[in-house]
Amino acid sequence: MLAVCPNSNEVHIFRVPPGSVSGSELERIHVLKNHDQLVSGIDWAPSSNCIVTCSHDRNAYVWNFDGKEWQPVLVILRLQRAATSVKWSSKENKFAVGSGAKSVCVCYYEQENNWWVSKLIRKKHSSTVQSVAWHPNNALLATASTDFKCRIFNAFVKGVDAKTDAVGDTKFGDVLMQIDSASGWVHDVDWSPSGEKLAFTAHDSSLHVIDIGAGTPVQTVSMKELPLRAVLFLSETRLVAAGYDNVPFLFGLNDSGSWCLLKNLDEPKASSAEKSGSTFSSAFEKFKGQGAPTDSLEPLKPPATIHENCITTLQALGPAGYSSTTRFSSSGLDGKVVTWELKGVLEGVSGLKL
Amino acid sequence: MADDADGGDGEQLAPEADETNEAPALIMAKIEQRGKDVDALLRKQQVADALKTALADPPTNTRDENCKDANYAVMLKAIMSVKEVDPVLSQLSSKEADILMKYLYKGLASGEKAICDQCLRLHEKLTEKVGVGSIIRALGDSKHTV
Repeated sequence: MLAVCPNSNEVHIFRVPPGSVSGSELERIHVLKNHDQLVSGIDWAPSSNCIVTCSHDRNAYVWNFDGKEWQPVLVILRLQRAATSVKWSSKENKFAVGSGAKSVCVCYYEQENNWWVSKLIRKKHSSTVQSVAWHPNNALLATASTDFKCRIFNAFVKGVDAKTDAVGDTKFGDVLMQIDSASGWVHDVDWSPSGEKLAFTAHDSSLHVIDIGAGTPVQTVSMKELPLRAVLFLSETRLVAAGYDNVPFLFGLNDSGSWCLLKNLDEPKASSAEKSGSTFSSAFEKFKGQGAPTDSLEPLKPPATIHENCITTLQALGPAGYSSTTRFSSSGLDGKVVTWELKGVLEGVSGLKL
Repeated sequence: MADDADGGDGEQLAPEADETNEAPALIMAKIEQRGKDVDALLRKQQVADALKTALADPPTNTRDENCKDANYAVMLKAIMSVKEVDPVLSQLSSKEADILMKYLYKGLASGEKAICDQCLRLHEKLTEKVGVGSIIRALGDSKHTV
């Protein structure tokens, strides 16, 4: 099953119909509509089967499935600006919401009141929080912000988390680390499965990886290509990142301990000569077509990449708490969700068109 | 909408201290020295070395415009002396290429024909070498301006 937001205030849940062999056609089974404005973040907790959504209307909903329908529970975030992203923590007892109000909400369930309570981390960011990521230990939270910085917070909530998860003698909301190696908006951040490493992508076309376990300084991979919008660890030594080039790139840790670009996962099958500059030329062709409407329009070339627009999200597919996975999905501004399967170095791709 | 809960919009970015505590005078001295080195290399027709020397240690961490202008003048001398583009660019590291890209844009911004012509010539070749990522870094970097 799959939950997507078709760039509106609704969330659609699709499933692969029973008996489908190829798995490429989908059937819409639920539409969740309670938000007033664009839904900006969706996260589906694998074990508790709850969906949390957040929206530009400054609210979040936790959706529970009662066997027939998805029942919403409103979460008052107490935000003054739009929520931008949401993530369940690894134990699924908390979730974090990033927002345009320069703050992050950490929400947890209060048994007595039957209510989700939000606790704010304020005055730590000087700009919008684009993305959040939970450490597997359930207590640390990494944030990506448009003030060019990536930060790690203590998000341990007394009374909700086991005492054993506490982080030293710091309090909730304390900044444990601030990484200032990017020179552009930080778009996305992700922890490696063990939580030893942290990767983030920024709008300066770079990928930054820091090995916190080993205490080494930040490694920055400057790319030739356009900036990356999303990053996802597949294992301790492999990660994928994707963005404005419409293709996911595989990065890896090489023997000398540095991260490098391994390959483009959507390598065009056509000859490389034809590929070079094709995005520009096709754009030029479009403009030409507009300028001279009398010209007979040539049929547009099929795009060289599977995604036809910027990739905005990457999501791992696999059991919760995996240590390595080979399957992930990507979704982009072209309205497509694509699942990718890496087989060693080779990969088979099945595209799902919505 | 009232935003006082978040400290309001009046909340300014904490002024970032100059990352280097070097006084502008000290940076200026370095730039002057670098200018002399570049001149010497150019006289010996070692254009690639001159360009690399000019690219070393740019005053990106200071806010002092005089330093930036002085370094730009040195840089421009090196840029304008490049005749054979490819062999020169092939010797640059990716860091140096990123810095050069920033100076090319600064040159283009000057609007003088001779400078723009030369910068465009280099820009074309440099983009072939280091891709559009470098352009993004040159245009998008408001923290380390040259």
